[in-house]
Amino acid sequence: MEKQYIGEHLFPGQLGHFLVILAFVASIVATIAYITATVSKEPSDRSSWRRLGRGAFFVQFGAVFSIFIVLIWIIFHHYFEYQYVWEYTNRDLQTKFLLSSIWNGQEGSFLLWSMWDCVLGAVLMFTSAKADRKLAGATSGWEAPVMTVMSFAQFCLASMLLGIYLFGYKVGSSPFILFRQANPTMPVFQNANYLSFITDGRGLNPLLQNYWMTIHPPVLFCGFASTIVPFAYAFAGLWTKRFTEWIRPALPWALFSGMVLGTGVMMGAAWAYETLSFGGFWAWDPVENAALVPWLLMIAGIHTLIVFKHTGHSLRSTFFFFISSFILVLYATFLTRSGILGSTSVHAFTDLGMSGQLLAFMFVFMIVAFFLYIRYFKRIPEVKKEEGIDTREFWMFIGALVLLLSTIFVVFSTSIPVWNKLFNLNMAPAVDQKFHYNKVQVFVAILLALGTALIQYLKYRKTNAKLVWKKVWKPTVVALVIGTLIAVFGNINFWDHGIGFLIAIYILIYASVYAVVANAFYLITELKGNMKKAGASIAHVGFGLMLLGIVISTSKRTAISHDTMGLIGNNYFPAGSAEAEHPEENVYLPRNIPMAMGNYTVTYLGDSTAAKDPKTYYKVNYAEKDKQGRKVDEFTMTPDAFVNPQGQEGLIANPDSKHYWNRDVFTYVTSVFDPSKMKDTAEYKTYQLQPGDTVFFSDGYMRLKSIVSNPQSPKYKPEPGDLAVGADLVIHDNRGKEFSSMPIYYLRDSLYQYAIADTIPNLALYIRFDKILPAQKKIELQVKQSDVVNDYIVMKAYVFPFINILWLGTFIMIIGFLISIRKRILQQRRAVQHGIGS
Amino acid sequence: MKKSNIVLLVVIAVAIGVIISLVGDFSSYETFATAAKKPNREFHVIGKLEKSKQMVYQPQKNANFFSFYVKDKSGAVRQVVFNGSEPTDFEKSEQIVLTGSMGSDDVFHCSQILMKCPSKYKPDQVAMSKEIQAQM
Repeated sequence: MEKQYIGEHLFPGQLGHFLVILAFVASIVATIAYITATVSKEPSDRSSWRRLGRGAFFVQFGAVFSIFIVLIWIIFHHYFEYQYVWEYTNRDLQTKFLLSSIWNGQEGSFLLWSMWDCVLGAVLMFTSAKADRKLAGATSGWEAPVMTVMSFAQFCLASMLLGIYLFGYKVGSSPFILFRQANPTMPVFQNANYLSFITDGRGLNPLLQNYWMTIHPPVLFCGFASTIVPFAYAFAGLWTKRFTEWIRPALPWALFSGMVLGTGVMMGAAWAYETLSFGGFWAWDPVENAALVPWLLMIAGIHTLIVFKHTGHSLRSTFFFFISSFILVLYATFLTRSGILGSTSVHAFTDLGMSGQLLAFMFVFMIVAFFLYIRYFKRIPEVKKEEGIDTREFWMFIGALVLLLSTIFVVFSTSIPVWNKLFNLNMAPAVDQKFHYNKVQVFVAILLALGTALIQYLKYRKTNAKLVWKKVWKPTVVALVIGTLIAVFGNINFWDHGIGFLIAIYILIYASVYAVVANAFYLITELKGNMKKAGASIAHVGFGLMLLGIVISTSKRTAISHDTMGLIGNNYFPAGSAEAEHPEENVYLPRNIPMAMGNYTVTYLGDSTAAKDPKTYYKVNYAEKDKQGRKVDEFTMTPDAFVNPQGQEGLIANPDSKHYWNRDVFTYVTSVFDPSKMKDTAEYKTYQLQPGDTVFFSDGYMRLKSIVSNPQSPKYKPEPGDLAVGADLVIHDNRGKEFSSMPIYYLRDSLYQYAIADTIPNLALYIRFDKILPAQKKIELQVKQSDVVNDYIVMKAYVFPFINILWLGTFIMIIGFLISIRKRILQQRRAVQHGIGS
Repeated sequence: MKKSNIVLLVVIAVAIGVIISLVGDFSSYETFATAAKKPNREFHVIGKLEKSKQMVYQPQKNANFFSFYVKDKSGAVRQVVFNGSEPTDFEKSEQIVLTGSMGSDDVFHCSQILMKCPSKYKPDQVAMSKEIQAQM
């Protein structure tokens, strides 16, 4: 007989399970219906199958969003009988983070992905159905084949949430699994009323308790999800052998995907910059790379698609880029969620036993798409005549190839654990990971920046070289002047990797300035400021600014925290290694003792906590003085940290930055005072005093003002019958500060003696009221000044110059994308109205 | 020869060239003994924290000096010195990946520490039982 448990809320879980199965089955129905609607020869059959497909898709749409609501339900009610709720939330969690806890777990992030697919699929269904109606049933239209892909993706995602065993293999992982079902052997579940023991969850991973984490995952997953739409159109084009017509409806989607995925990646960079303490916005971590590479290929695909629209060239590569972009999203999902990255990533992703399933889906999409691509490769139309070497289409194609090469390098290096597993190797990531990537990508960036600057001045098909030169010389001169100004006054001395890399950095500065200036000129002189057409130019200006921001802030980043008290010298690390250049970036800051750092005098003022907030805030004062010693700037930063979170030892730190228009001052705590680890060797000294007497200690002196009866102190709770006296002390330290103190002595039940010591934390002073000596009319105090400075932080501080250029560039690029999307949607609408294309 | 073929050849040549040079960057997983054979070259060493020996981090003396002992996969125990602060949850780590080189003093100087703490994200049953018992 099944054991009866007390207090469980089983209904939401059962409802959730049912909804998952409903979504799963409905997506199978939608897939089959849309396949039949695509391949069927009879127009009437087609429309009835299409209706079934739509219905089934909306059923799974409803089911997926209901799953989300049920998940919110159990999380907001703190039903800790569910493992997901217990693992990722607790009662103290602020409401705004309850939402982020939904995508903390893998199940939740697959759900988020599935929700975006639903939304995108619904929009796609309406827009393609509307376009199809104009075709009057001549062909099967685009809705059926494109929605086949969307429905199949939904089938895959729903299966990730199933959590059922099929032929001994676990399919998916359910967010509605009960704690006791997941861990049946745990002794606590022997009790029918086990829930009364589980009073709280373990809470959200502290790194995710940040506003970026509420907004970044939804945007990134929208980007990931949206890469499927251009893929679906390319796939549909191959499947229905309409090799050229799909590009017009696909273009706005590809732009949308490029915009959202790019935004998601940069939000991740901003999150890393603001919350992670690796001291930067990009570390070439596998998880970052995984999000970047599909974006690179999406951008390549957008450019070759535009080439095809204008010249008929590059259609085959457009197919390749859109298919690969989505396959790379799947590959990235496999890499980051299968646990294979293990020892190469700081992001600890664990294997939920779904890596086989993830691989299977990736191979299904990959094999089917590439099979069709190879099979019809020869039938994809290509212009017989080759592009001339002086044409826009030729160089745009080269640019797309550069993006492809960049992608290949990043994927190759990120996949080390995969190569190790496949070929049984013993490779480890490069020791200097950042430089390993940067030394290749700096050249990619140079080529892309130059291309962005120059290629648009070329014409499609045929270019008049003289005319180009006439237009290009002005921006070239301006860019050279600005670049030289930066080079001369920028004082960029990034010698960490030798002269070669420094030269490459200078070239990149010139090239990215060139990209910004040339596109701004193009916008004014060629487009005459016509904003409707300006999308590409504006996006390119943004891209150029991003590159400029990246190269300046990275190469000019300086650590201002230097451990002047350090015992080990600069020859500690092998000469030439990156650590030898910046060996001592942790600095020890005892409380209230100013330290010089760069132009600043930095003082740690103490910590504070607030109710309902699990973090500890460390107040650090920065004062900047000029050469005459006048104070020119002063501010206080509060880097914070979770101290001993979730039963762990140590701390998880969040940096704080002070933003100026031209630089950020960036600080984070790396270690804090832990009283339990300190051994105090100082001993108490005994003094006998009467009122008016003075005691000296190393940092100052104290005077006994009076002995008070019935003393008040938060540490002392009086009881009837107590006989209590307090020593009213006034303390002066050597810097002229005054403190007061009230150690207490009392007798309880006329028998037991107690002493309540008082401490002056700033002076590390401990005072005990030990005895009353009635005969001498004196009292006995015990005084100790600890030799351990009892409050300190260890922190790092950096100055990031011009990081705002990066964020500004990102913002401008997004605006450029928006303008382009608008233009392409209007074009598509006009084309549909005239019954062409589509 | 067609231009597209030339472009393709150039691209393939560049790709192969760069990938070969990138492979040269890759490090390998070693033990203390094999790392000692090539002093001053940086390797990755996988091991476990040797908890019976002393860990030293005294920021008031030197905020950039953290010393501990690690037992590598072959069972050899060496002192490791890290030029930084003590990482979070270090004592609970199950496995440590150290990046650094073996010095002539038989001390492993490491520039990077990567820890695997499964209990952090994937609660194992022992840790969960403990947490619940703590609440009880």
